[in-house]
Amino acid sequence: MSPLSREFTANPYRPWPARITSIMDLTENEKLFEMRIIDDSVREAFQFASGQFVELSLFGVGEAPISISSAPSKQGFIELCVRNAGDVTGALHKKQCGDIVGLRGPFGRGFPFKEMKGHDMLLVAGGLGIAPLKSLINHIHDDRHDFGKVTILYGAKNPSEILFRYQFDMWKHRDDFELILTVDEPDDTWGDEVGRVTRLFDMIDIDPTNTYGAICGPPVMYRFVIDEMRKKGMDADKIYVSFERRMKCGIGKCGHCGVGHQYACIDGPVFNYWEAMNLQEAI
Amino acid sequence: MPPRVVVVGLASDFGCQVQMTNIEDQLLDVLGRIELSYWQLASSGHMPEEYDVAIVEGAVTTGEHVALLERIRATASAVIAIGACAVTGGIPALATSGSLDDHYACVYGEGDVEVACGRIAPMPITSVIDVEYRVPGCPIDMDEFTQVLSRALQGLSDCIPREPMCAICKTLENICFYERGEVCLGLITRTGCNARCITLGRPCTGCRGLAEDANLESAILLLAERGVSREDLMTRARLYNTLEEAFTR
Amino acid sequence: MFFRIMDKDRLPDLVAGLSKGFEVIGPVAKGERFVFERIETPEMLRLDYDTTLLPPKKLFFPPEEQMMRFRVADNEVVDDEVYAAPRVIFGLHPCDINALMLMDNVFLGEYEDPYYRARRESTMLIGVSCKPTDECFCNAWGTDEVHWGFDVFLTDLGDRYFISVRSVKGAELLDEFVATRDADESDTAAFQQHTRNFKNSFTDDLDTSQLPLLLDAKFDDPLWDRLGERCLSCGACSMVCPTCYCFDVTDRLEADGKTGTRVRTWDSCQFTQFAEVAHGQNFRESRASRVKYRYYHKQWGYLSKFERVLCVGCGRCARACLAGISPREVVTALEMGGAS
Repeated sequence: MSPLSREFTANPYRPWPARITSIMDLTENEKLFEMRIIDDSVREAFQFASGQFVELSLFGVGEAPISISSAPSKQGFIELCVRNAGDVTGALHKKQCGDIVGLRGPFGRGFPFKEMKGHDMLLVAGGLGIAPLKSLINHIHDDRHDFGKVTILYGAKNPSEILFRYQFDMWKHRDDFELILTVDEPDDTWGDEVGRVTRLFDMIDIDPTNTYGAICGPPVMYRFVIDEMRKKGMDADKIYVSFERRMKCGIGKCGHCGVGHQYACIDGPVFNYWEAMNLQEAI
Repeated sequence: MPPRVVVVGLASDFGCQVQMTNIEDQLLDVLGRIELSYWQLASSGHMPEEYDVAIVEGAVTTGEHVALLERIRATASAVIAIGACAVTGGIPALATSGSLDDHYACVYGEGDVEVACGRIAPMPITSVIDVEYRVPGCPIDMDEFTQVLSRALQGLSDCIPREPMCAICKTLENICFYERGEVCLGLITRTGCNARCITLGRPCTGCRGLAEDANLESAILLLAERGVSREDLMTRARLYNTLEEAFTR
Repeated sequence: MFFRIMDKDRLPDLVAGLSKGFEVIGPVAKGERFVFERIETPEMLRLDYDTTLLPPKKLFFPPEEQMMRFRVADNEVVDDEVYAAPRVIFGLHPCDINALMLMDNVFLGEYEDPYYRARRESTMLIGVSCKPTDECFCNAWGTDEVHWGFDVFLTDLGDRYFISVRSVKGAELLDEFVATRDADESDTAAFQQHTRNFKNSFTDDLDTSQLPLLLDAKFDDPLWDRLGERCLSCGACSMVCPTCYCFDVTDRLEADGKTGTRVRTWDSCQFTQFAEVAHGQNFRESRASRVKYRYYHKQWGYLSKFERVLCVGCGRCARACLAGISPREVVTALEMGGAS
């Protein structure tokens, strides 16, 4: 018997220890965790694109794929917006600042940021779909001069489920972002739009030949939002969608995230609409 | 403070509690994580007023059982049903086919012998109260039990498997009983026991209950092709699952 | 590649010789069937086997394997070493060697799998020629032949083996442990005749024309519903498949709750939980969609990446399926016009 010794980095299943540096309650069910990978060289090597995800690893409980909410331009820390929806995310919600968790990644194909530069942007999020899209929005914000007009449409079920409201409230007053919020079920405090996010398309004016679209939300939302973008005249290969699937290993092996003939974890989770149209059962 | 655990037995042969004593080495480690407040099989004291986790074996056969379960439900933050009796009704539930009075007369003779206080037709505890965790089987598989207990102590979700037994049986390279023309219920029975009986050379008798993922209609057809009637299959399946609706139709 | 000839009665010499330096694993009898197991004595090796219950993938990617040991308190890995003893698998059929090469694409490609790699690197493969059984359809994919991916391959010429030597290690083993001679013209002629006979012994030639395209064109065909009605969702097909590589990962705590192991186990796309996400949405809820996905991925998904279908025609799934669903039936139905 001879052990085949391997470098720490050689095992893609082995998570990197990371420390929770801040926790913010966003809603009753969602928290924003800021984390810092402990190893200096690993942290420096951890370069990602908006739309990519990590595997969050809590030993004794398991792993869950979580998209990165912070922008790649933010160095040294990553933010994960996590809904308490299962065993792993439930256990994460019980963690405190300073606790250590495991991270693997970044995995998958994110939004084509370089390709999008120089164009107008139309970003549409529904519910928790704002989590990966926030990374892109923040990245655009940090490189604002590289983009034309930026329009953000964000819908949630009710006002208490609007995530990152503090940030949106701030942006609403800026004239270099057009931001429209909508909820299905308004309450007395709600002063923004009411109804589905697709309804907002009547209120916006975009140049379809020069605009990239990015959509993220519950599966039922995609078809309707894509229809609206197509009606505006946008090309299929300039509309990007991000899919949620059961990305268990993150590295194209375990098979759980199969979508059509591809795997969401390595071929996606971001696909353009032309690609998505060619994936069976994707939309 | 470690979680306080009680172990309670209703109508059963206490076989699952006996199983628990068979893992002494692991038991000591588990005991380090909990405060075992009461164990019906091993302690002579009374059940405490307060506890966090209740492990319940056996079927419900008396009004006393119902009252006890309701008290347990009101007290415990997590209830673990263990064994076929508690989860599906198991062997005690066999008494529900035919007349209960006749069965009693057959065992205890005619007359007014008071055999149980407020006796009722046997049923699993899951018919009386909601439970967080289920460990099926006759008797329970101790590997599965320790994992479920661990999950309960961690506050994780129930992880009872939904698929039938054939997959694990294949990985153990057992020769399928159907290749020898024998009937095995593994193809519709909930997995999770490492196909223990089959590996030891006995066909599965379905003690872990009907798997949610099972395709019973297809199983009935393919058994019929092999000369096993629907009624024969149902009779075999009812041994541990008399109260399973799918087996009574 | 060069070729050697070994008299059949020398086989025990080779097996006994190999056993001195390696763990030797080969087909042995289990009841009426065969399994790959450790060969303790040369007589145990049954090169006349038809097929094994489980394919050799179990030796590289075990049904259950510990990935790492961990400590809960600080979420730290205690040990993720892979121990792999040097070994020889003796007696693989061409389909199973081809299957390992298909697995290599997944486990040794991007994001190399260290567990698979360690076992693969420490293992030598000795192939042996076979006879088609009723369930075999390797000829449909061209996996009835194998040209690389082994160290040594033995073709049975009756009284002797025609040995194809692919690797230096393989050549060294032969030199060290058994008397062989160079193949002459008559040996090569006999080898060719054997190959012709082998090819002719397949009674069935499966039409696979335009299969990937048909899978898309007939995606909504009622064929899938009919198969869904029959499928037992038992996952037996995936387990016995030499190319199914899907797995699940679970954490198991020790009884003390302080340490544990992260374990991976074979999984199947036929189980309902396979494509379910945390919020409860299931992307393949119906049996029909799951049966279809198994074919869709094997004959198109994998092919779109690696230009090969993920099936070697070994027939194990057809034999294991109590509901009688076989790739031959499914492919034929697709080619012939779906459910009709």
